[in-house]
Amino acid sequence: MEFEFRDNVILFERELSDLDKFVIKFVEILDKNKINYVLVSGYVAILFGRSRETEDVDVIVENLPFEKFGLLWESLEKEFECLNTSSSKEAYYGFLLEKTAVRFAYCGQFIPNMEIKFPKKEFESETLKNRLIVKGKGYSLNISNLEKQIAFKLFLGSEKDLEDARHLWNIFKENLDKSLIVEKAKELNVAEDIISLVLE
Amino acid sequence: MKYSKEELEEYKSENFKERLKFIDSYANWLKKTPNKEWSKQQNKLLSR
Repeated sequence: MEFEFRDNVILFERELSDLDKFVIKFVEILDKNKINYVLVSGYVAILFGRSRETEDVDVIVENLPFEKFGLLWESLEKEFECLNTSSSKEAYYGFLLEKTAVRFAYCGQFIPNMEIKFPKKEFESETLKNRLIVKGKGYSLNISNLEKQIAFKLFLGSEKDLEDARHLWNIFKENLDKSLIVEKAKELNVAEDIISLVLE
Repeated sequence: MKYSKEELEEYKSENFKERLKFIDSYANWLKKTPNKEWSKQQNKLLSR
């Protein structure tokens, strides 16, 4: 695997999957609408080679006023549809402001879908601020800081999450600060035996 | 009960450790394989 870490940028080329193309198309619309976002969770591991599928891609977007969300909705509805509701007002006031995610898929499809939410907890706001940028030919993706991503996966704790954490750790261990992962995991009350099992 | 709780927990734990070993060996393969090659193989899995 070839990649290059430069501060907060990872230069990385790969043969794009249909899932990657779906994500890129969606985040290009976020970028056009000047919306700060960060991709989190399983997709980050899959982007860097994890051998599993996913039905949804989690993305945290900055808190938006309704006017800006309405413009995003208009841009999205040419190719995507919201799976929760056909009303932008309900999506915003009934879901996003209530700290519930809304999902967007290609029109007429259900999977894959982008699960977007506003930051609920401080660590989600931090993730949005301290993101990394993955750059390749024709794409640029904001992903979560990898130490935090691994710590968060340890916190989520399902076998799938722990395997994602192990995968990211295996791929990036030469570029990451293990003590920072441990510190973040401890902040999230992850048990010591889980931390040492996955980061051994 | 045919199996004790401890036996079943141990079975699950061993199974998970096996999975982690597979993830390690796969990551080792990824690290020495060009992006073009591994991503092509991964795409076959993702496009099934």
